[in-house]
Amino acid sequence: MENILEIQNLCKKYDDFELKNVSFNLPKGMIMGFIGENGAGKTTTIKAILNIVKSYSGNIKIFGLDNCKDEEKIKEEIGVVLDDMFFPEILTPNDINNSMKSIYKNWDTKMFYNYLKEFSLLPNKQIKTFSKGMRKKLEIATALSHHPKLLILDEPTSGLDPVARVEVSQIFQSILEKDDCSILLSSHITADLEHIADYITFINNGEILLSKTTTELLDKYGIVKCTEKEFKTINKKDYIKYKKNKYEYEVLVPNKKDFKAKYNIGVIDKITLDELMVLMIKGEE
Amino acid sequence: MIGFIKKDLAMIKSNFKLLGILIIVYTVMGLLGEMDVSFILPFMSVMIMISTFSFDNYNKWDAYSISLPNGRKNSIKAKYIATIFMILVVSVITTILSFVISYANTKTINYEQILVSMLGTIFGTLLVLTFMYPIIYKFGIEKARIGIFIIVFGLVIIGSFIAQYLDLSFIAKLLSFLENYLVIILIIITILMVYISYKISEKIFMKKEF
Repeated sequence: MENILEIQNLCKKYDDFELKNVSFNLPKGMIMGFIGENGAGKTTTIKAILNIVKSYSGNIKIFGLDNCKDEEKIKEEIGVVLDDMFFPEILTPNDINNSMKSIYKNWDTKMFYNYLKEFSLLPNKQIKTFSKGMRKKLEIATALSHHPKLLILDEPTSGLDPVARVEVSQIFQSILEKDDCSILLSSHITADLEHIADYITFINNGEILLSKTTTELLDKYGIVKCTEKEFKTINKKDYIKYKKNKYEYEVLVPNKKDFKAKYNIGVIDKITLDELMVLMIKGEE
Repeated sequence: MIGFIKKDLAMIKSNFKLLGILIIVYTVMGLLGEMDVSFILPFMSVMIMISTFSFDNYNKWDAYSISLPNGRKNSIKAKYIATIFMILVVSVITTILSFVISYANTKTINYEQILVSMLGTIFGTLLVLTFMYPIIYKFGIEKARIGIFIIVFGLVIIGSFIAQYLDLSFIAKLLSFLENYLVIILIIITILMVYISYKISEKIFMKKEF
C-alpha cells in the first residue's frame, strides 16, 4: 500500500524532552489516530512534519516528497489544525476566506461557506465572539476547504461538546469517502478514535510504543482480570504490562486467543484505547 | 503573499476609523493655522501595523502561518509590504491635504516644502520599521517594546554626547555639498535600509521555532 506520510528515525532534543527515533507510516486513504498523554511528543512530531520546529534529525516524506526540499508543494496539499487556537480573534470568517483564497491555489470558497453554514458560524462575526468549540470548527472548516490530500489535525476535537465531536468525526469520515484524503489525527480523547481510526500510533515519553491497525489492537489485545495467585502462574513472555488493583490484577496481553488457549484463568475483556494507554504508561513489566 | 497582506490589513481595519478621525483633526488644525501635525499620521500607521504583531503573538498565528504554503517567507514579506503600503498611502493623503491647507491659508502652495516634509516623514517612519521589525522577530513583540525603549534612550544619550563633545561642522559641510543630490541619496539609503532590515528579519524568522 502506498504511504502518504513516512517518518523515519525522527529525533529532536530539548533541554527537558526528546523525540527518540520516532518512525511510523500513514497509508494512503487511511485515518491514523496519534495517541499519547500530554507532553508525550505528539505536537512536537506534528510540528516537525510541518517544519514549525527545526534542527531535528531523521527523514520525513509526504506524498513521497522530502518535507524540507518540497515544502511549498507539499503544503498546498495539506490541511492543518493545531492544538492552540491560531486565528487572530479580531478577524471574521469572511476575512479568513479572503486571505485563504489568495494563499491556497485550490481554495474552494463555496465549500468554506457550506462548512460555515453546517457548523452554524456567522461569516461576518469576529472570531473573538465565538466559543472555543466554534473556533475549532472554523479551523476545521479552513483546513478542509482547499481539497487537501492529507489532513494533519492536532487535538481537533478538544474543547468540543460530545455532539460536535460526533459531527466532526462524521465529517472526517465523509471526506475519506468522497475525497482521496488521508488523516493524521492526534487526540487524547481516544473514544473518538476507536470509531474512525484505521491505524493507531501510540507515543510515550518521545518514543513510539506501537503503531498498528485499530482492528488488530482492539481485536487481538485484551485485559485479563485475575487474582494474584493466578497472575503468578503467567509467564512474563505472555503479557506486556500489568497493574495491581485493590482486589485484582489487570494484565495486558497481546493476543487474547493465544492467552485463552494457554491459560484458563481469570476473565479476558476487550480493551479500549484508554485502558491500553493507562496500562502501557502506568503498568509494570 | 497577497493572502498574508490581506490578513494583516483585515486585522487593522478597525483602526481605519481612528486614522480617519486623525486626518480630520489634522485638516481642521491646519485650516485654523495651528501647528503642523502631518508627520503624526504616517507614524500612527506604523504603530497600527506593529499592533498586528501583538495579535499574531497572542493568537499564536506564526506557528500556523508556517503550515501554509511558503508561510515563513510570505508572512515576513507581507508585514513589510503592508507597512510600507500603509505609510505611503497615509503620506500621500497627508501631502494632498497639506496642499489644500496651504492653498486655503495662503492662496499659494509651497510644493517644495511640503514634498520635502513628506519625504522626511516617510524616511523617519521607515527608520522605525527598519529598526523595530528585526527586533520584534528576534525577541517577540513584548520584549521588543523594552528593547526599543533602551535603543532610543541609548541613541539620545550617544547623540547628545556627540553633539556636546565632537565637532559636527563637517556634517553641515557635507550636507551643503550634497544638497543637489540629497533627495536621491535619501531615497537610496531608505531602500537599502529597508532591504537590509527585511533580510535580517527573514534570516531570524526562517530559523525560528514555535
